[in-house]
Amino acid sequence: MASEKYRELMEEMKRIGRIVFQAGLNNSHSGNMSVRVGRRILITRRGSMLGFLKDEDIIETGLEQDDSGISLASTEVAVHRAIYKGTSALAIIHSHPITAIALSIVQDEIVPIDVEGSYYIRRVPVIEFEFGTGSKEMEEVLPKYLKNYRIVMVKGHGAFAIGDFLEEALHYTHVLENIAQITWRVRAMGIDTRQFEREYFHKW
Amino acid sequence: MAGWMGRVVRVDLSSGEIRDEPFDQDVWRRFLGGRGFGAKVLWDELRPGVDPLSPENRLIFAVGPLTGTTAATSGRGSVSTKSPLTGTITDANTGGKFGVIFKKAGLDALIIQGKAPKPVYLLVSDEGIQIKDASDLWGKNTDETTDLLLEREGSRASVACIGPAGENLVRYAAIINEKHRAFARGGVGAVMGSKNLKAVVARGLRTVEIADKERMKFVTYEANKWLRAHPITSKGLPEFGTSVLVNIMNEAGIFPSYNFRQNMFEFAEEVSGEAITEKILVRKDGCWGCIIQCARRTRIPGDEGEGPEYETNWALGPNCGIHDLEIITRANYLCNRLGIDTMSAGGTISCAMEMTELGYYDAGIRFGEGDKLLEYLKKIAYREGIGDELAEGSLRFATKHGHPELSMTVKGQELAAYDPRGAQGQGLAYATTNRGGCHLRGGYLIGRELLGVPRMIDRFSAVGKGSHTAILQNLGAALDSLVVCRFASFALNEIVWGRLLTAVTGVKYDPEDVLEAGDRIFNIERMFNVREGFSRKDDTLPRRLLEEPAPMGPTKGRVVELDRMLDEFYEFRGWDSNGVPKPETLRRLGLEECLNG
Repeated sequence: MASEKYRELMEEMKRIGRIVFQAGLNNSHSGNMSVRVGRRILITRRGSMLGFLKDEDIIETGLEQDDSGISLASTEVAVHRAIYKGTSALAIIHSHPITAIALSIVQDEIVPIDVEGSYYIRRVPVIEFEFGTGSKEMEEVLPKYLKNYRIVMVKGHGAFAIGDFLEEALHYTHVLENIAQITWRVRAMGIDTRQFEREYFHKW
Repeated sequence: MAGWMGRVVRVDLSSGEIRDEPFDQDVWRRFLGGRGFGAKVLWDELRPGVDPLSPENRLIFAVGPLTGTTAATSGRGSVSTKSPLTGTITDANTGGKFGVIFKKAGLDALIIQGKAPKPVYLLVSDEGIQIKDASDLWGKNTDETTDLLLEREGSRASVACIGPAGENLVRYAAIINEKHRAFARGGVGAVMGSKNLKAVVARGLRTVEIADKERMKFVTYEANKWLRAHPITSKGLPEFGTSVLVNIMNEAGIFPSYNFRQNMFEFAEEVSGEAITEKILVRKDGCWGCIIQCARRTRIPGDEGEGPEYETNWALGPNCGIHDLEIITRANYLCNRLGIDTMSAGGTISCAMEMTELGYYDAGIRFGEGDKLLEYLKKIAYREGIGDELAEGSLRFATKHGHPELSMTVKGQELAAYDPRGAQGQGLAYATTNRGGCHLRGGYLIGRELLGVPRMIDRFSAVGKGSHTAILQNLGAALDSLVVCRFASFALNEIVWGRLLTAVTGVKYDPEDVLEAGDRIFNIERMFNVREGFSRKDDTLPRRLLEEPAPMGPTKGRVVELDRMLDEFYEFRGWDSNGVPKPETLRRLGLEECLNG
């Protein structure tokens, strides 16, 4: 469990975790999230339910070094550490937004066609890994992408969003799923959505 | 070369030598320009302990790769030096058009050293650089100086000059450009005065090369789209100017008054942005090429000018217990003509007022005595009577009379218009600025703690603020080096700045590269200060803010929990517990030159 001095951040993790779950961005046990404070990180416990986090579900460990907390931490802890070390992020949310995952299976990037999406996210790269969960390859590659984008998709797996706060990462995640939903629904009308994609978003 | 002009010139005023310096592309890519380039030169060239008012000190005018392009708010200029007020490194940043015309003269930077044997000014033009006689200008105010130089060098020129305050080495003298804009803080005008340099006149018509015009077009479109959509940049600032903040900060209980004895002001309405609009506004105005238009062209009986801006309004008004908008505005105009930083002037006078009120020392002026304000500003600029003591800044003044605790300063520079007892992160930001008390260089935490940019965070919480502060300091250092306006960042984040920088220079800058450049710049500044003897002991706040609970409003009962935040801040930055960057941090940032410093 995290130190009591991080009480406010623990409560924030519980609040954001609940929203992520209620919004359907994760299933009952999927996903994980963390925050960075100085050289420490607070990360959700392996197998915890983000929608119902308790104090003991929030694990404190070092940014560089393992300590006893590591055995309880999320499977993706190494990826989170790599992202913190490679970017200026102070918060990470890894989620499994269904429609965005569906799009990631069939295309190499997600570009918004709606107005809201085009303000917040102009392009989301889709990255393919042989091992898409907690792999060394992800540790090496994801930070490189997240130096340039605030949210990326792992093909067929889920999203990694970063921000200075959990709420910011949550917002990016929501916007991405909205973009995907709108794209999917327009396509469901039998319309090719590419005609609505701004050319320069592909170069963003 | 795209973005940068590829030219740095050094002027030695002692010998009269003017020479081109090698243009080191690697330095410009890593330090960007403006504040960053200035910091690099000061680290490389100044020996520790040098007197800021000696010929040995450097005064570096510099612009950035975005200056003079279509990038949002890129009409600014920067000057760096060692501050005579704080003894730290300092930089000051101005709006208007001076920076753009300086760049159009074909320069990225001008390094000035030495001391001219008699008053001179520098003409920087696309036809060359000249040292010219300014004997007839010495003693004139900035309005008169500007008019005479424009007459002499042509109306398309831009003039940055000092007034009597700079000539008389007031430790917080400013450099004024286009009569109403200021390189304000840290005493940059005094450094200019110490070199017998009355003005720098820029004139030129060159254009900035853009590496990828097509990309620049669409990134600019995206940036302006956000600036036009964000309520602060599209509504609040254009409609009410920067004083739009008066009522917001007062209602939150973080609008200091009476030298921070109070954290609210009972007459705030009378000096608010709404009051300015209603009573004295002639029209709104803006810097070169800016779509925000936050400047205020104003008129009072018998006079006209620009301002007051939020910080000036507060420093010369509520912080001195004054709520007569006409007096505040007149004092603002006077400071510009005399060439004084309004913030340090107001902070020093309010300190003198409190000394008098408490009976510690009779400085002859009390809170609310607006009728004496103009007289005191003149005394300061000409160092007459009590003005000679006040020209030294509030810390030296209060210390001389036995009460340094009444100087509301950090590292000797007067604070800004936010009481950090109601914004913990801003308290840390003040304490850790590299140029002394400043709301901007410390990282403008107010954006997150009060304005919700990009998200609102708990302003009373100390948890996590060390990390947030460091990141905002890094972003701020990068923006000051680009050289762009902080207001744009209400709407634009590092992603957009990275894209603009890439389009202009053709060098790939990821958003994280922008932040890393800022990190590098902040750390080399810190190393400069460490070399001068600064450490954790100096990263502190006036005792009042640490020990006296805020007396009123939503902030009532709070003090700043500094130590707790400071530990996290050092840890996040990779500094040791005394606030010194660790060798591995310097290596990570490519600052090997600082390893043996």
